[in-house]
Amino acid sequence: MAYIEINTHISVGFNKELEDLKNSVLTMGGLLEQQLSDTLHALKTNNAGLAEKVVINDREINSMEIQIDEECMRIIARRHPTASDLRLIMTIAKATADIERMGDEIERVAKLISHSNVPDSESLKSSMLVIGEHVLDMLKDTLDAFARLDLEAAQKTYQNDETIDAQYKDLLSITILEMQQHSDELENWLEVLWALRSFERIGDRCKNVCEYVIFLVEGSDNREI
Amino acid sequence: MLKLFEHDKLDVNNLTPEQTAIEVRKLNLHFGEKQVLEDINMLIPKNQVTALIGQSGCGKSSLISCFNRMNDLLHGCEVSGQVLISGNDIYHRKQNVATLRTRVGMVFQKPNPFPMSVFENVAYGLKLQGVQQRRKLDDAVEQALRETGLWKEVRDRLFESALTLSGGQQQRMVIARALALKPEILLLDEPTSALDPLATLHIEELLNQLKMQHTVIIVTHNMQQAARVSDYTAFIHEGKIIEYSDSDSLFTMPKRKQTESYITGRYG
Repeated sequence: MAYIEINTHISVGFNKELEDLKNSVLTMGGLLEQQLSDTLHALKTNNAGLAEKVVINDREINSMEIQIDEECMRIIARRHPTASDLRLIMTIAKATADIERMGDEIERVAKLISHSNVPDSESLKSSMLVIGEHVLDMLKDTLDAFARLDLEAAQKTYQNDETIDAQYKDLLSITILEMQQHSDELENWLEVLWALRSFERIGDRCKNVCEYVIFLVEGSDNREI
Repeated sequence: MLKLFEHDKLDVNNLTPEQTAIEVRKLNLHFGEKQVLEDINMLIPKNQVTALIGQSGCGKSSLISCFNRMNDLLHGCEVSGQVLISGNDIYHRKQNVATLRTRVGMVFQKPNPFPMSVFENVAYGLKLQGVQQRRKLDDAVEQALRETGLWKEVRDRLFESALTLSGGQQQRMVIARALALKPEILLLDEPTSALDPLATLHIEELLNQLKMQHTVIIVTHNMQQAARVSDYTAFIHEGKIIEYSDSDSLFTMPKRKQTESYITGRYG
């Protein structure tokens, strides 16, 4: 396993910069977690206002991505990081991009709710909530693995994507059946398909972040070619 | 929007007098027929680290030497323009150069310990100023050595020859010698080029701490070092300032193509 210690440079300033950078990703991740949690709550309670708030808050996540990108660039230019420091910054830059895209996926689901376009089907809603809760759990575990740079947790969470993919496939078949029965609301049902796809994509992006954590901690590239 | 990072930056073109340590106005420097510096105008911020970078012979060392009139010692040197410290032109005929050099200390490329004890080295400037009281000297030496992080390493060998210290320790002792005089400004002319990488990092970290009490100006041909240690950077080429700004901007998005070429290693 590679050797990771952020706080042991001779330069106190560099220690602080890396610590702040890592914390900023957790702040961004924390907001994302809240966004997903709010979206699921809005879905459960038909709360269009809360969903609208999620849509607006996505701008905050976008702004954080830009700030973190700039800080990564600044640190690379000023500190010339190497080895684990370089891997940390690469990991953060890439993870941040994935977190921002997860924000977009959540925004898509939130828009569906805020526009009151969710078809009136209890079974659909509960299925969406089930996959949504799974995705939320995976997101929490992913951010936790990143916060603790925990290789084992990252490897375990990485596997969870398979469950989400399987759930997505099942939901897709059920939804297509429902669509056939409600051809008058086809547009709304298509939106539902996109929302389900969004949940599945969040799972994929969590998997990406887990790969980055494994790369950072272990020093080996785990990505599929 | 939530601000994730705080980086205080001053606009070096618009510093208030309180923020300014040195103001350079229309400075020209000739050595005989050769013009070394041409129309230099700059404001150097107080309690910050400012780096001067550029190729060998570009005039960066000559510029830093203007700040405590070290160039006066060179044959054929002619200076025009003004260098103002606390609003006073240091090239005014009434300026006492010895006093100036206690206010503006200088450290050079190679550590230059005098062949005497560590204590005597650090106390040297104070003794020259006429300080004789043992208690005062003891306190000043201890404080200066603490400031450079050297105290713990040398407190048991204060009266051994300074020549027995390592290169990095000697350079920190030389900085302590300058600090003992409590200068407002510390000039460093390639202070780490004779040191190994670890000793270099210790000196760089020291500079970051020194800026709390002093304004630090460093000349370095090592761009990476300038990027690491400085808050502000001036790129000098053929005696002119090409670009001068906060180091974040200069090293990520320089405004001038010439600066971009130099810092990316494209400049011949």
